[in-house]
Amino acid sequence: MKEGFRQAMAWLHTWAGLIFGWLLFAIFLTGTLAYFKDEISHWMQPEIPARSLSSEASLTLAQHYLEQHAAGASRWLIDLPDAREPGLSVRWQQAPATPGTRGQFTEKLLDPQTGAEVQGRDTRGGEFFYRFHFQLQMPYPWGRWLSTIAAMVMFVALISGIITHKKIFKDFFTFRPRKGQRSWLDGHNAVGVLVLPFHLMITYSSLVIFMTMVMPASILAAYKGDAEAFYDEVFPASNTPDMAGKPGQLAPLAPLLERASEQWSGGRTGSLTVNNPGDANASVILARDGADRVVHDFGSALTFNGVTGQLLSATPKQALPMAIAGSFYGLHMGHFAGPVLRWLYFICGLAGTAMIGTGLVIWLGKRQLKHAKSGVMPFELRLVEVLNIASMSGLMVAVAAVFWANRLLPVAMAGRADWEVNSFFIVWGLSVLHAMVRRGRAGWVEQLALAALLFCALPLLNALTTPYHLGVTLMQGDWTMAGFDLTCLGSGLFFAWAAWKMQRAGQAGVVTRPRAKSIMLEQEAH
Amino acid sequence: MFLALLLCYGGFTALCLSMDRHHAELLGRKPSARRRQGMKLSGWLLLALSLWAAVSSTGWGLGLVEWFAVLMLSALLLVLLMPYRPRLALALAGLSLLASPVAVFAKG
Repeated sequence: MKEGFRQAMAWLHTWAGLIFGWLLFAIFLTGTLAYFKDEISHWMQPEIPARSLSSEASLTLAQHYLEQHAAGASRWLIDLPDAREPGLSVRWQQAPATPGTRGQFTEKLLDPQTGAEVQGRDTRGGEFFYRFHFQLQMPYPWGRWLSTIAAMVMFVALISGIITHKKIFKDFFTFRPRKGQRSWLDGHNAVGVLVLPFHLMITYSSLVIFMTMVMPASILAAYKGDAEAFYDEVFPASNTPDMAGKPGQLAPLAPLLERASEQWSGGRTGSLTVNNPGDANASVILARDGADRVVHDFGSALTFNGVTGQLLSATPKQALPMAIAGSFYGLHMGHFAGPVLRWLYFICGLAGTAMIGTGLVIWLGKRQLKHAKSGVMPFELRLVEVLNIASMSGLMVAVAAVFWANRLLPVAMAGRADWEVNSFFIVWGLSVLHAMVRRGRAGWVEQLALAALLFCALPLLNALTTPYHLGVTLMQGDWTMAGFDLTCLGSGLFFAWAAWKMQRAGQAGVVTRPRAKSIMLEQEAH
Repeated sequence: MFLALLLCYGGFTALCLSMDRHHAELLGRKPSARRRQGMKLSGWLLLALSLWAAVSSTGWGLGLVEWFAVLMLSALLLVLLMPYRPRLALALAGLSLLASPVAVFAKG
């Protein structure tokens, strides 16, 4: 009975892992990149200067700019710069021409030190990877549903994987390289078990994030089908006074930051909304920046009177269930992580990606062995092989293509941001074709080599197309730019190593056993 | 976080050495029963200490997150290092245990 259960779990693990493995690989890889979303955006918009800044000074500049350019607007939105996102973003909404419609939004990016407008090149930046990670470039809400289903399958695969893996504690420290299929399984188990807390957290929290979408029944039942009433109760909107119709002088906004910080026992303000800025009843809403705590607080905000500076209302303290949901959200997003912890998140994400990748390779490797002698592969195995190659090495090439497009497409090109995204999908599609044309190992080696070349050459391309090459950024200590270039170089070298290993493993298979045996003897002698 | 990392790595190495197979691989002979017990105990003790180090420096919320992060990273590092550079893996464990008191004083 016991063995029967374990076998059933092994079957579940094998097939759930295979069917969703390719999609999960892409979700994990882009999600891992999204931990450095702001840094990637910064690299992709090198025109926006990164400088030391103070929130007060930036806010004064923003207010000054908006008073000059958007005095008649019905609403101002100001996103304050922080260490990771150096741009000061201001948006304003015109009063709607006819009541009941939405007024038009205008967005400008300012230099947080001078207040001058900055024109960054048109790009999605790191936002593309972040969005793709859970929307999969599909229309709303299909992408979210598909990625949530993938998350559920991931959870199933994790649990069934733990049950299938018999000797978790005995094999805890085991990794035996250079032993073919054995090594892949060791590696799969090692990254699976050693990084298990991360895998469980990231998968479970992704389900928590979309829980109202996946399981709306309890809300609909309790609120008699009126989901809006639920959201109104959970996220209370700050009630802002109506327009007085009399002109009023907006008080300086910068001192409000200090007062908000006192209210939040040291918490920072992330963004401000000013309603009816020229009116006697102007109100200012300060929203908290979540980066100082692990537990994410949805919509923690203070409302001030814009003219007198009087505190009008504050959102109530977070209730316990919200704090629990908020902690899962916070853990998944990692907004609170400083540079070191952010890198650890990144490494954990890569480990998760590697776990999925090794699993896919093992599935195919096991079944290929049966057909090794005849040399003819049945169609379904060939299909899995093509999908393996394109979903892993092809995806790496596609990611590199986005960065190359960012530097090579002309800055003034129309629809530039869309073409960066298009180049990602075009290259990914081409990698499928390539994998179909080329047989097995050759496909792997060529695509990995191409990824290696593209990533290694990125710092060079950056140096040729912008003034911010490694020599400058390292000297200035601009670690965002330099870190991006160095990481590309590092990944390029890794892909080169992987391609070389693939090539050599292919030759070793042809040269037959005696050589492998002598290597093993040699190792034992050492 | 650094102190927690040092203690975690040392702890995992001790736990690894408390297993016959790994002890033989790394040190060339099987451990005695007493040695195995000692290694196991000190390994768990070091892991507990590292939890204390993480939580005491940044509080429960961030401390737990950081502890899990260094826990996973140090185990991953040890397992990937052992088959390729076993001497280095051991030397790092010795170094990290030697350096941990220094890290305590540097912090305090």
